[in-house]
Amino acid sequence: MAALAIDRMLDAGARPKEDDATNAKDILGLNVQRFALAPTPDPAQFSKDNFGVGYGTDNHQKVQFAKGTTTLAFKFDGGVIISVDSRSTMGPYIASQTVKKVIEINPFLLGTMAGGAADCAFWERNLGTQCRMFELRNKRRVSVAAASKMLANTMYQYRGRGLSMGTMVCGWDESGPQLYYVDDDGTRLKGDAFCVGSGSTYAYGVIDSHLRADLTVEEAIDLGRRAIAGAAHRDAYSGGWNNLYHMKETGWEFIGAVDTNDLYYEHVHPSHIPAPPPKPTPSNVPR
Amino acid sequence: MAQLRVAPGGEHVLPKEPPQTGGFDFGLAARNARLAAAAGATASMPEPMSTGTTICGVVYAGGVVLGADTRATGGSEVADKNCEKIHYLAPNIYCCGAGTAADTEKTTELIASQLELLRLGTGTQSRVVAATTLLKRTLFRYQGHVSAALVLGGVDCTGPSLYQIYPHGSTARLPYVTMGSGSLAAMSVFETRYADNLDEAAAIALVKDAIRAGIFNDLGSGSNVDVTIIRTGGEATVLRGYETPNDTRPLREAYVRPKALVPVKATAVLSTQVEVTDADAMEL
Amino acid sequence: MSILQHNGAAIICMAGKNCVAIAADTRFGLQQQTVACDFEKVFKMSDRMFVGLAGLATDVQTLRNTLKFKLALYELREERVMKPEAFSALLSHMLYEKRFGPYFVEPVVCGLKDDGSPFLCGMDLIGAPVYTDDYVVSGTCTPNLNGMCESMWRPDMAPDELFETISQCLLASVDRDALSGWGAVVHVITPQGITSKSLKGRMD
Repeated sequence: MAALAIDRMLDAGARPKEDDATNAKDILGLNVQRFALAPTPDPAQFSKDNFGVGYGTDNHQKVQFAKGTTTLAFKFDGGVIISVDSRSTMGPYIASQTVKKVIEINPFLLGTMAGGAADCAFWERNLGTQCRMFELRNKRRVSVAAASKMLANTMYQYRGRGLSMGTMVCGWDESGPQLYYVDDDGTRLKGDAFCVGSGSTYAYGVIDSHLRADLTVEEAIDLGRRAIAGAAHRDAYSGGWNNLYHMKETGWEFIGAVDTNDLYYEHVHPSHIPAPPPKPTPSNVPR
Repeated sequence: MAQLRVAPGGEHVLPKEPPQTGGFDFGLAARNARLAAAAGATASMPEPMSTGTTICGVVYAGGVVLGADTRATGGSEVADKNCEKIHYLAPNIYCCGAGTAADTEKTTELIASQLELLRLGTGTQSRVVAATTLLKRTLFRYQGHVSAALVLGGVDCTGPSLYQIYPHGSTARLPYVTMGSGSLAAMSVFETRYADNLDEAAAIALVKDAIRAGIFNDLGSGSNVDVTIIRTGGEATVLRGYETPNDTRPLREAYVRPKALVPVKATAVLSTQVEVTDADAMEL
Repeated sequence: MSILQHNGAAIICMAGKNCVAIAADTRFGLQQQTVACDFEKVFKMSDRMFVGLAGLATDVQTLRNTLKFKLALYELREERVMKPEAFSALLSHMLYEKRFGPYFVEPVVCGLKDDGSPFLCGMDLIGAPVYTDDYVVSGTCTPNLNGMCESMWRPDMAPDELFETISQCLLASVDRDALSGWGAVVHVITPQGITSKSLKGRMD
C-alpha cells in the first residue's frame, strides 16, 4: 500500500483529480491501473534499462532480481501435476535453494513462479484477492478460465513496463482440470502441458517423451519429478528442491519436496559409476 | 656499453642499437574484440587486479623515505592483503606503484633490469633522474594505457630526490609526494606536518601517518604500512610490514576455536588415486 | 556476463605443513547450460607442482598446452625440473606479454619448494602475481571461496586435515554458485607423492 501512497505523491500533478470512489478502490489495491510507475518521462524505458530480468542481460544493473527457474505443469486423466524447482539466483550467486515457487491462490487454484519472483508473488496474490471478490459477489467459485483471464488482463495493462512473469494457472472447476499459461506480455494459452523458465527446454524433453493421458497418479508424479531433475542437472539456474502438487477434484494436494540432487542420482544417473580416478596429466619428467 | 668507434670521417658514432625484440603481443586483441562485440553492449570486459593504493614519499635531511599500504583489489574484493608496492629499481633507488597491479609490477621490473644493464655498462651508480626518464618514456609511449602511477625516490651523487610519475608519462620533482586513490588522505597529513630538513625519525613517522590516513580513510587502501628509507650514500633499508595495524591474528587467537573445523571423513570421495613420486616413501 | 564467467570454474590452492593441496570443480558450461561434468582445469606440471586455470575454456587449454611445451623445453635445456617460483614468473610474463589482448584466464600455481615448504601463487588475467602463504582462490565464485577459506584455514594442517578442509571449502562455495560445481577433484602434494581424489558434489 505504501507504493500506492508514494505513487499519489509522485505524480499527483500529472493526473486528473480522482473522485473518492476511485481512491477507495486504490486503497483496496483493486484498481491495478494505479500501481506505482517510475517518476520519469518514460517509465517503460526506465524499467527496461534498470529493472530488466533477462539472463545475462542485467549485469550492468545496480539491482538484480532473484530469478531462474524450471516450472512445469501437465494435465492427465487424474488431474494436473504441478512440479517446480526451488532455486533463486541473483547473477551467478545462488540466493536461495528453498524458494516456494508454487503460489497457493486458493484451495482450487495454484499459480507457478517464473521470472521476477516479486512480480509473480505480488500479482498472483493480487489475483487471489480478485478471485475472492468474484466469489463474494457471485456466490460461486471462479472458473480457471476467468481467473487466468484476470491475470492476463492485468499483465496486458502493464505490457512493456518491465514486469517479468511466466506463470501457469492451474485449477479444478465445474468443467474439470484446467491449465493456462499467462505471461508478462499478456499471452494467455490453454494447454495440456507447459514448462516455463530457464530450464524449460530440458523439462519439455522429458515431458514430451513420456506424457500420456492414461498415466496413473504415481506415474504422473514420477514424470513430474524426473523432468525437474533433468532440468536441475543441466540448467545452472535451476536446482534445490522439487516441490510437487497434484490438482484433484477436491482441490490441490501437496505431494512433497525432494532434493533435486537425490533425484539426479535416482533418475538421471541411476547407475552412477564413480568417475575413473582423476589421472593427473603425466609429468614432463621421464621416470 | 659498447665502446665508441671512430667513423672513417673522424667523427664519433654510437654503435648501432640491436633491433628491438619483445614488447607486447597483440595477437589475441582482434579475437577479444570480436568476443566483446558478440557478447553485446551489456557484457563487461574482465577487470585486471588493481592496487587501489596509498603511496607516498618525502625528502628529509639525510635522504628519502617512501611508504605504501599493502592492499590489492579486484573490483570490490580484496585480492591480496599483504602485497608489496615498494619496488626495487636499483640499490639506491626504489619506486612505489599505484594503478593496475600487473602494470606497476612489470614496468618497474623492466626499468630495474635496464638500470642494471646500464650500471654494468658504465660502472657507475644509477642516477635517479635516469630512472625517471626511462620510466616516463616507457609510459608516454603507451599513452596512459599502461596505468602505472609511481612515486620514485632515491639518492645519487646529486643528493636525495623524489619524483612523481603519472601514467601518461608526466613527471614532477617535489619534496613530498602522494599517489593513488588514498593520495588525498595522505596529502592532508603531509600538508599539515611537512617541514624542510626533517630528521629521519620524524620523516618516517610522517610517512607512516600519511599511509595510515590512506589505510583508514580510503576504501581502496588497507592492511599494513611498508616503509623504505634510502639514506645519503645510497644505503637503503626496506621495512616490510613496518606497522601492522590490521593484523587479525591476535583477534583470532583471542577467540577460542576448535582445533579443526572439519571432521575427518566429512567429504564423500568417489575415487582415490595415489602416485608415489619418492620411491622410498612407504607411508602413502 | 564477463567472458571469464562463460564456462564457470572454482579453484582453491591451500597450504598445509609440508604439503599443499589444489581443488577444482569439474563443470564445463556454456553460460547457464551445463555441457560436461568431467572437465579438467587443474594440471600437473611436475611431481611437486600443479597449475589451476580458471576462465575461458579455450584459453585454459591453449595455455595448458603452451605451458607444457615450455616446461618440456626447459627441462631438456636445463636438465632439471622447473621450480614453482620460476614457473610462476614464466606464467606471469606469458600473461603480461598479452597485456592488451589477454588470455581470459586467472591462474593459480601451487607446489612444494626445494625445502619441502609450500608455495602458492595466484594471478589475474594479465599476470599480476599474488604470493600468499595460506591459500589462493580463482574462478566464478571468489567471494564464496575467499569467505570459506578465510574462516576454515588454519596453520600447519597435516595432509588429511588439509584434504578435508580444502574439499569442504570448495563444495560449500560451489553450492552457492550457479556456474561451478557438478563434481570436484582434489590433489594433495607431499614430498612423498600425490594423492588425487574425485569428490561427490551436488549435480544441480
